[in-house]
Amino acid sequence: MTLGGLIESRRVLVCVGSGGVGKTTTAAALGVEAARRGRRTVVLTVDPAQRLKDALGLGTLDGKPRRVPLGRGVHLDAMLLDVKHTFDELVRGLATSPEQAARVLDNRLYQNLSGSLAGTAEYMAIESVQRLAEDGSYDLLVVDTPPARHAIDFLDAPRRLLALLDSRAFAILKDPTSILPAAGSRLAHLVLSGVLRGLERFTGVTLVSEIGEFIAAIEELTGALRTRVAGTQALLRGEATSLVLVTAPEPRLASETDALVRALGRAGLAIEGVIVNRALPQSLFGSDAAEPPLPAPLGAPLEHRLQRAFEDLQALAERQAATLAPLLATARAPVIAEVPLFPTSPASLEELGELGALLVPAVAPDPALRSGRETA
Amino acid sequence: MPGHLPFKTQRLVVVTGKGGVGKTSVTAALARAAVDAGRRVLAVEVGQARLGPLLDAVEPLTTDPVRLTSTLSAAAIDPEEALGDFVLGVLRIRVFARRLLESTSFQVLAAAAPGLAEFLVLYKIGGWLDARRLGRALYDVVVVDAPASGHSLPLLSAPRTLGALARIGPIADTLGALDRRLRDPAQTLVVPVTTPEELAVRETIELHEELSHTLGLPVAPPIVNAVPARRFTHAEAERLMASDLAASRHPYLEAARFEIARRAQATAQLAELRRALGTKVVQLPFLYDGPEAPGGVAQLAAELAEAAGLAA
Repeated sequence: MTLGGLIESRRVLVCVGSGGVGKTTTAAALGVEAARRGRRTVVLTVDPAQRLKDALGLGTLDGKPRRVPLGRGVHLDAMLLDVKHTFDELVRGLATSPEQAARVLDNRLYQNLSGSLAGTAEYMAIESVQRLAEDGSYDLLVVDTPPARHAIDFLDAPRRLLALLDSRAFAILKDPTSILPAAGSRLAHLVLSGVLRGLERFTGVTLVSEIGEFIAAIEELTGALRTRVAGTQALLRGEATSLVLVTAPEPRLASETDALVRALGRAGLAIEGVIVNRALPQSLFGSDAAEPPLPAPLGAPLEHRLQRAFEDLQALAERQAATLAPLLATARAPVIAEVPLFPTSPASLEELGELGALLVPAVAPDPALRSGRETA
Repeated sequence: MPGHLPFKTQRLVVVTGKGGVGKTSVTAALARAAVDAGRRVLAVEVGQARLGPLLDAVEPLTTDPVRLTSTLSAAAIDPEEALGDFVLGVLRIRVFARRLLESTSFQVLAAAAPGLAEFLVLYKIGGWLDARRLGRALYDVVVVDAPASGHSLPLLSAPRTLGALARIGPIADTLGALDRRLRDPAQTLVVPVTTPEELAVRETIELHEELSHTLGLPVAPPIVNAVPARRFTHAEAERLMASDLAASRHPYLEAARFEIARRAQATAQLAELRRALGTKVVQLPFLYDGPEAPGGVAQLAAELAEAAGLAA
């Protein structure tokens, strides 16, 4: 499906990719374009640069969507994914009594560590997505994800959290001796408690017992959480959700993309299309580009330097094409948009709109601009 | 007016910055420059695998340093592996340690101990700095390619984060020593790397502030990587933009316009960086063939040696 088709038909569009490839900007631009096409759209973003934050009116972190007027009665909503806030909300929502919620919320570990606890941060971000999807006030959610490795945690969070709930981990943390072969035996208990106490003394960290208390507190919410998590997982894997990979022709991205695609596969997710950012247009700088005479004589020294500039960019374009080929083979998905290397990064609403129109052209794109890429 | 890189006698150099700005290339080039200046160098990367090829290593790097030449060694630290070593060291009883490491619960525990993995990485690096052979330090300089800036702050602030949890005991002592070493300008230099692009520059300004003020670390002026060369004089640029050429789609002119716009953007961002930090910056050229092409790292190393006054 084309990128235009995706933004017009999907409920959730998730942008994944490495850091520094323009993922956040791309997500914002897609949001602007979808809103212009009449879809009630919200962009959920993790870490926008200041100028983009300003453009989207995301000055405060309060876990609520902000309205961004785009002119002519069109608007887009934007929201920063706020882990802590969502987690607190979730705990309150799931708890059967305020006291039960307070037991979790007041736990010192919860306060300090809820963000880093084995995928909970990522789960909470996905949780916001689900909440907005259920909310019914949006046709499309465009989701910007944390950089590659963390995107895996993010998208795989429901499965991992379920696995954690189902695993012996809870039991182990409440009673660490259960990891021993002769679990339950008095001897095993004595040995391991001794070792763990030693570990605590050595490190000066009383984590083991504190985690036990935390797990015990949050376990009371397990049943409700399990239902919730299964729902999120269904949303992510369902027909209404698509994943697009945002990438760029840079060597560092090859292994990261490979790892990302594999991990997504394990999580039952696949990339539907690839958006290539920062590529030099092959039509201009490809090796077979024509070299007609210059429209006016410019003198030998300048003409020589013009030729050098062209040849350098040709070399760069060649290197980019060589870098991109294995990356695209890894992604096992077609290129659905290509954004040339701009001298400046778009950040105002107007520039985002231009980028959106470029990403999703109203008419069929110039085939020359994409030659040799889709087959790569 | 080229910037100066205050890399003199510090033994620990930590290279940091946003993802994709060329930290690994700069790490390789700094290591190379120090080797060329006669130092025995260990280059280290954390949690990735891209430094080896830039240093012409044939095999993938491992946690144990590999000697690439008589004065250059390289290693790659895997934080999870470091955690495993640590647990083995503490628990000693291997069967317990293995079972503990394999259990989901331990991963939860590791994730819940903020700064533990980072602390272990620093601990390992500290070990290399202290390593001695035949009465002298094994390595004069350890150059570290730190994780992308969002993650290098945890790395560099680990002694404090973890220190808040572990107040007494052997770890607390080690943390104190690490923290003192990191903050001593005679021993440590933190080098932020950026590209002359808006997002990277903005993040670098925030990072610089955080590293030097919040964490109190000795931070060098940023190294601006991949700066496009100035190809055309002002008069030439005007001629190329003149009306008889402006509409032409000639590839040479397209190339020229692209390069002029890119250079203008870079110049503006360099100015912004200098203005915000009140310092000159070290610039490295954009390499059209990439730093991985033959001679790429050597070229960057020569520029850095010059900026640090290491050149003979």
